[in-house]
Amino acid sequence: MPTVEERAGEAALLPTGAVQSAIFNSANFSSIVTDAQGVIQIFNVGAERMLGYAAADVVNKVTPADISDPLELAARAAMLSVEFDTPITSGFEALVFRASRGIEDIYELTYVRTDGSRFPAVVSITALRDAEEAIIGYLLIGTDNTARHDVEEERKKLDQGLRDQQFYTRSLIESNIDALMAIDPRGIITDVNKQTEALTGYARDELIGAPFRNYFTDPARADAGIHRVLTEGKVTNYELTARASDGTETVVSYNATAFHDRNRQLRGVFAAARDMTELKRYERTVQKNELQRESDVAHAKELAIVNQELEAFSYSVSHDLRAPLRHIHGYVEMLHRATEGQLSDKAAHYLKTITDAAEEMGQLIDDLLAFSRVGRTELRSAPVDLDALVQTVIRGLEMAVQGRGIRWRFTPLPNVIGDAALLKQVLANLIDNAIKYSRTRDPAIIEIGCAGEETGRVILFVRDNGVGFDMHYAHKLFGVFQRLHRPEEFEGTGIGLATVRRIVGRHGGRVWAEGGVDQGATIYFTLERSL
Amino acid sequence: MNPLKRILLVEDSPRDAELILDALEANQLANEVVHVRDGADALDYLYRRGQFADRPDSQPALMLLDLKLPKVDGLEVLRQIKGDDALKIIPVVMMTSSREERDLVQSYQLGVNAYVVKPMKFRDFVEAVKQVGIFWAVINEVPPGTAYT
Repeated sequence: MPTVEERAGEAALLPTGAVQSAIFNSANFSSIVTDAQGVIQIFNVGAERMLGYAAADVVNKVTPADISDPLELAARAAMLSVEFDTPITSGFEALVFRASRGIEDIYELTYVRTDGSRFPAVVSITALRDAEEAIIGYLLIGTDNTARHDVEEERKKLDQGLRDQQFYTRSLIESNIDALMAIDPRGIITDVNKQTEALTGYARDELIGAPFRNYFTDPARADAGIHRVLTEGKVTNYELTARASDGTETVVSYNATAFHDRNRQLRGVFAAARDMTELKRYERTVQKNELQRESDVAHAKELAIVNQELEAFSYSVSHDLRAPLRHIHGYVEMLHRATEGQLSDKAAHYLKTITDAAEEMGQLIDDLLAFSRVGRTELRSAPVDLDALVQTVIRGLEMAVQGRGIRWRFTPLPNVIGDAALLKQVLANLIDNAIKYSRTRDPAIIEIGCAGEETGRVILFVRDNGVGFDMHYAHKLFGVFQRLHRPEEFEGTGIGLATVRRIVGRHGGRVWAEGGVDQGATIYFTLERSL
Repeated sequence: MNPLKRILLVEDSPRDAELILDALEANQLANEVVHVRDGADALDYLYRRGQFADRPDSQPALMLLDLKLPKVDGLEVLRQIKGDDALKIIPVVMMTSSREERDLVQSYQLGVNAYVVKPMKFRDFVEAVKQVGIFWAVINEVPPGTAYT
């Protein structure tokens, strides 16, 4: 039987035992009791569960420092050494130093499990003292802090995600081609992107907080734009001229909408300004081209009218001018017949002269009509076999060649692009001239050939060994009615070479002549080679 | 030799008319040439209207038609003749000063039988009239209904 005192002692101890038992059997708190040197004396169920050691493995064997992260302990020792200005060794001393100084100490440390894995624990450390206040041991009560760590990790991730998201959104705004601005309902700028800095020449800090209207040539119109967005919800293609810090003016087109917060409260205007300089320039060019085109069309119409008038003119010339000439001819002939050869030589000479004059004029009319037709008719371009064309032309000139000992020299000619009928006229005129101006020669030599190329065109020529011409007057050769010979020497109207120049010119080529008095003549002309 | 046939000459220029008549005469091609001065008279003649209401009803064996005519021009006269079943059998020779291609093309489109450009030289002119006259008024067998004189 226990004594009363013992009973009273037991009674006093009972609750203590119950509390101790509850503490030591708690699975959620690790409770570790050490002696003054740190050697573990009690290692409860919670500690066993959290750390994986059996009590028997650690009691009287190790200190809590031995089952903690050593690096963390070393860092703690260093920190405390500084704080208390005294050397503190890494190890158990670092673990309990504050508590040993009577400071209630709760902190997070990292326990190392028996399998080497780690977990964070929030540990409260209390020094155990005897009646004389001497430290006899330490009590370490810890909770597993892993869950909170996970939450914090999660929050960190969320924060990072949020920052990433913000960065992404911001970079979208910054990389926008438009100058973007947020403006509050009072018209004060609250945010800008880089393009806005470029447009205005002001830094972001200068722009934010300043009135939107300050950056435009027409502030009232800027205000009106903001007002319209605030009342109507948006504006599109609203033109303003921005004036930059250096005075540069830029026409911009605004598209802007009102924006609201989550409570549907109107927060301001989000405005995007597009630089219209390029577009304006383009529009001006288009407009200019359009005007040019209109004037071209008008010009073409005028030309068509002039052409029509010319057409009518030459038509009536060919009809009406020819008829009187025919009559002169006819009546001279009838006079001849009526007088039956009774005319004096003089009278006969007069009549012949009348006839010749009429004939000459008829030729002039024909040549002039042909010349004007060359300018009016449309080119019908196609590949042309020049060799064949030359032969055709020479066959056609049989009359002129009759009785003449002409030596022809042909070198093969390339095929060209052109209007065959007109090119035939060119060759006919040139060869006819060559025959005509070489008629005092025996033998007459006429050469037709190709003299190479210039700027992608073939150079063709017709050469004769005839009377030639003075190079001094070469420029006159190709003018209408320009002649270098007296009519009694060589007949002609002075239109042939003018016609040649006009035809070659219409084919995009050029014509020139080389020669000397009594040294023959060479007429060159260029045409486009046919592939 | 075939008997000479009647020719209708439509020519506004008295000089050209005189030259043509002279040439026909010189070649003994016409014993009757009816000469009218414009297109309206030509149509009146063919349709026996107005001053020609009383002419014999046989149609000419050949028509020499100038292109440029007062009132109704040659192409219009041609159009009406070739558009009329009773008249389109009459051979029509267009005679003109013009070498313009469009006149020629249009004349053939309207059904002209021949197209002659009046030559500048009289001899050529006489020759042309002679050829035309011989072929159309002498050699060519005319369709029935066109009469001999």
